[in-house]
Amino acid sequence: MRTADLIELLAHDVRATAPGVANRRLLAALAAGGLVTFAVVALWLRCQPLLAAAQQPWFWMKTAYTALLTVAGVASVRRLAVPGAKVGAAPVAAALIVLAMFALGAGQILSTAPAGRLALWLGQSWKICSPLILLLALPIYACLVMAIRGLAPTRPALAGTAAGFAASALAATLYSLHCPEQAAAFVATWYTLGIAAATVLGGIAGRRLLSW
Amino acid sequence: MLQQDQTEERLRPLMLRSLEGDSGAHRQLLEILGRYLRGYFARRMGAAAAEVEDLVQETLLAVHLKRDTYDRSLPFTPWAYALARYKLIDHLRRRSRSIQVPLEDAGALFAADDPEEGALRTDLDRLLQRLPHRQRSLIEDVKLQGLSVEEAAHKRGVTAVSARVMLHRSLKWLNQAIRDENG
Repeated sequence: MRTADLIELLAHDVRATAPGVANRRLLAALAAGGLVTFAVVALWLRCQPLLAAAQQPWFWMKTAYTALLTVAGVASVRRLAVPGAKVGAAPVAAALIVLAMFALGAGQILSTAPAGRLALWLGQSWKICSPLILLLALPIYACLVMAIRGLAPTRPALAGTAAGFAASALAATLYSLHCPEQAAAFVATWYTLGIAAATVLGGIAGRRLLSW
Repeated sequence: MLQQDQTEERLRPLMLRSLEGDSGAHRQLLEILGRYLRGYFARRMGAAAAEVEDLVQETLLAVHLKRDTYDRSLPFTPWAYALARYKLIDHLRRRSRSIQVPLEDAGALFAADDPEEGALRTDLDRLLQRLPHRQRSLIEDVKLQGLSVEEAAHKRGVTAVSARVMLHRSLKWLNQAIRDENG
C-alpha cells in the first residue's frame, strides 16, 4: 500500500474527539487501583480507629507525607503518559518533600535520648512496612500501566518509574490508615524505602510493559 | 528556530481542525508530516534506509490512532517529534540491542522534508488480507473505489456507525500487525 493510499484511508476514519482523554483514563485507573488497595487495607489489615486517630496530629503526618508525594507522582505520570510534554517540576518537588521528611526524622532522632533512638526508628513494624507498601502498590501500578499503554508514552522507562512512584505513594497513603507508627524517623525511612523500591521496579517493568 | 515556528503555525491549526473531525485537514496534516518523517528517518537510519517508508507508515498510523493524546493547549511540533523519535527507537531496538538516538529539539523532525515515497518491506495490503472478509471488503471499498464510509456501509448492508467502528478497529489491528511483523 502506498503511503498516499494509507493517508487516504486514515482520512476516512476521522471523528471529532473529546479533549481530556489522558486525565480521564489516569483518574479512572487511580480510582480503580486505589479502591482495590483500600479494600485490602480495610478488610485484611484493618484501619486504625479513625476517631481516636483524629485526636493525634502525628498519626496524620505519614498520611500527609505520602499524599503530597502522590500528587507529585500523578503529575509526573500525567506528563509522561503522552508525547512531547516536559516532565516539569514535579520530581523536584517530590525530592524536596522527601528531604523535608528526612530532616524532620533526623531532628526527632537527635532530640531523643540515645537509649530510645533505635526503638523510635524501628517502631513495631519496620520489617513489614516497606514490603507491604510494595505489595499494596501492585493493583494501582497495574491499573496505571493499562491506562498509560492506551495513551502514548514515548519514554517507557521514565513513565514506568513515575507510575511506580505514584502507585506506591498512593498505596502508602492508604496503608497509613492502618499503620500504628507515629515517629517521623520511622516514616522517613521505611515508607520512603518502600516507595523507592516500587519506583525502581516500576521503571524496570515499565520499559517492557509500556512499549506500544 | 524561525522555520520551526512557521511549521508550528502551519501544522497546529490543521491538528486542531483534525481533532474537530475535519478529514480534509487531517489528510493535509498527515501528508505534510509524512514528508518530514521521511526526511527525518532517512537522516537518522542511514544504512538501514530500506525501512524508511515502512516506518513512515507505521508512524502516520500511530499519529492517527493516538491523536487524542495531543493536548490542545500545547505546541504540536514537540508532540509529533516525540512520537516520531519513539517510533524510530522502537523500530531500531527491535533490530539491535543498543541504540542511541539523540534527544533533540523538535526542529530535528522538521529540518527537511522529502516528498518522494520510498520502497516498502512490509506491504500493508498484504497484512490487511488477514482481516475477516467483511472488514477487508469495507477497506477495499474505501481505499480502492474511493467510496465514503457511508457509501461503503450502504453497499455492504451495514449501518454507517458499525462501518465506522469496523474501519477504526481494522486500523488498530493493522497497527498491532505491523509491530508483530517487524518484531
